[in-house]
Amino acid sequence: MPRPERGETMVRLDGVTKIYTKGGVELVVLDRLDLDVKAGSFVALMGPSGSGKSTILNLVGGLDIPDEGSVTVGGVDVDALSPDELSAWRAANVAYVFQAFNLIPVLTAEENVELPLLLTPLSRAQRREQARFALEIVGLADRMDHRPKQLSGGQEQRVAIARALAMDPEVMLCDEPTGDLDRASADQVLGLLRRLVDEHGKTILMVTHDPQAGEVADRIVKLDKGTVLVEGAEA
Amino acid sequence: MSLGFLAWRHAWSHPVRSLLTVGAVSVAVFLVCFLRSIVTSLDAAVTASASNRIVVGSAVSLFQSLPIAYRTTVGEMEGVEDVCSYTWFGGRYQSESNFFAQFGTDPEHMMRMWPEVVMPAEQKRDFVDDRQGCIVGRTLADQFGWKIGDTVPLIGTIYRRHDGAEWTFNIRGIYRSTKANVDEVTLFFHWDYLNEVLERGDADGPRGTSVLMVKIAPGYTPEDVSLRIDDHYAAGPQRTRTQPEAAFQASFISMLGNLPVFLGSIGAAVLVALFFGVVNTMTMAARERTRSMGILGALGFGREAPLRLYLLEAALLVGLGAAIGLLLAWGSQDTFRRLLGTQIPMYHVTTDTMVASGVVALVIAFLAGGIPAFQAARLRAAEALRRGA
Ligand SMILES: Nc1ncnc2c1ncn2[C@@H]1O[C@H](COP(=O)(O)OP(=O)(O)OP(=O)(O)O)[C@@H](O)[C@H]1O
Ligand SMILES: [Mg+2]
Repeated sequence: MPRPERGETMVRLDGVTKIYTKGGVELVVLDRLDLDVKAGSFVALMGPSGSGKSTILNLVGGLDIPDEGSVTVGGVDVDALSPDELSAWRAANVAYVFQAFNLIPVLTAEENVELPLLLTPLSRAQRREQARFALEIVGLADRMDHRPKQLSGGQEQRVAIARALAMDPEVMLCDEPTGDLDRASADQVLGLLRRLVDEHGKTILMVTHDPQAGEVADRIVKLDKGTVLVEGAEA
Repeated sequence: MSLGFLAWRHAWSHPVRSLLTVGAVSVAVFLVCFLRSIVTSLDAAVTASASNRIVVGSAVSLFQSLPIAYRTTVGEMEGVEDVCSYTWFGGRYQSESNFFAQFGTDPEHMMRMWPEVVMPAEQKRDFVDDRQGCIVGRTLADQFGWKIGDTVPLIGTIYRRHDGAEWTFNIRGIYRSTKANVDEVTLFFHWDYLNEVLERGDADGPRGTSVLMVKIAPGYTPEDVSLRIDDHYAAGPQRTRTQPEAAFQASFISMLGNLPVFLGSIGAAVLVALFFGVVNTMTMAARERTRSMGILGALGFGREAPLRLYLLEAALLVGLGAAIGLLLAWGSQDTFRRLLGTQIPMYHVTTDTMVASGVVALVIAFLAGGIPAFQAARLRAAEALRRGA
């Protein structure tokens, strides 16, 4: 995908509606939602529980499809891709960081970071090299042989970010990445994400409840009941 | 690192559970091999039988003797190359539990007609020369530690000596068999010697011979010769029933009743139990990995990734278990041949059995890995992540 210049639109949601039906009851999670995220920007999605924040990330990453409207990422109409195309596209363009249980528990930190690189044509040696480099960036080169259980929550989250980074994605989708962390670890993770935007030109869409997390973002989008309530730049 | 490596790590993430599964698979595969081998070992005697030999017995029952004069008459019939008598002795060696078969026979004829019975030439000669001599199978000799020159005392149960003493036979030869229709746990002695003692009035017992084995002369068919013999005796004094050697062997096996069917159903039950066991393990394992599968999906792995992972994991556990089971089955052949001794003297595990058991195990692995994989493939990544959280 041709990389949009910093400031051009990277992610666009156009009149997106998402409805879940449970027990015969229709639940409108997103109601004709519009959202525009510029390349190389850091956007925080905030809002009460159940307002559809995770749903938005799933739509952007192609893990879910909208009932109405369209989702484009880097000019690609995500919901028009077949399941196989979608897998390949996702591997090449987006990376997820979740709140918790981000890592495969039976693999070491290094192996977890190397895992998505199996989808690339890189050689074994190149994969290891790249995984180590990514762990270096997040400051965990000395922990690469540890299993997730042997890491702190903050370290786990940094490994997850390293894994996202290793794929060199355009867009990073972070769902409450600091939700389980203490203040110091949370600040470390937020600082790291900020650096990825500033130094590596990534586009980050981050769901958060943390008011301080909002402060590192370029822009905060507040959601309520499936619509954008407030959209504005944060000082 | 590779997906195979991840499957390996998954397989050993619960070592105890995995080892139990491997153990269950190996026991099951071993059992299936063992049961099938019992059947194939019994069958082997039938399939190895020579097609140019026929067995003449009483038309009334196998336990009814034929007059010994038949030996001469049959021997002179057209199409008969050679004839040899076999008389069931039914003696007991030391104790009831030491059962093995003993036959009175005509040594020279027997060794001519049975090329599958192999012995050094001088032992053959010694056997023929000693009227009270006998030959024993290699396995039997091993079992009781017999050597050439030893004397075997047998207590007659059918043929009782009036002096209450034991019958004694001198071991003149130890034979081995090249085909499954002759076992290596039988004792053969001179029919003439048995007859001599009976004639002297020193013992009681049925006269005549249990059966006659006939070798067909070249250019004649077993069917024609059988018909000729049975026709000849149709009017008596003792009607005969002549059948191919293979059918005769098979009639011993059919005396075991539905043993093959019985063993087959046990084997099938073992496999069904194994199948549910492995499915259970894999389903449990898969439930723990819902989240991991969601992560794989979010990383951009396709839907075939969980399928490959679960199939590999099941194949690993089942493959290891099956390998151990097959090794056990193969390695324990001698032990079982000894243990089953005279009941199933030719016990052996065929390559067919090993391959079949291995294939069945792999099919089970495929299904057992396939079921959770199928469930995982239907679960979309977003849903997997939600559930696993
Ligand atoms: N697969 C699904 N089936 C039914 N309902 C769903 C499904 N996925 C999400 N929902 C519902 O949609 C709504 C929005 O869910 P979503 O996960 O996007 O909320 P959220 O804003 O991320 O909340 P939180 O802050 O608690 O994570 C919730 O009410 C949720 O129950
Ligand atoms: Mg959420």
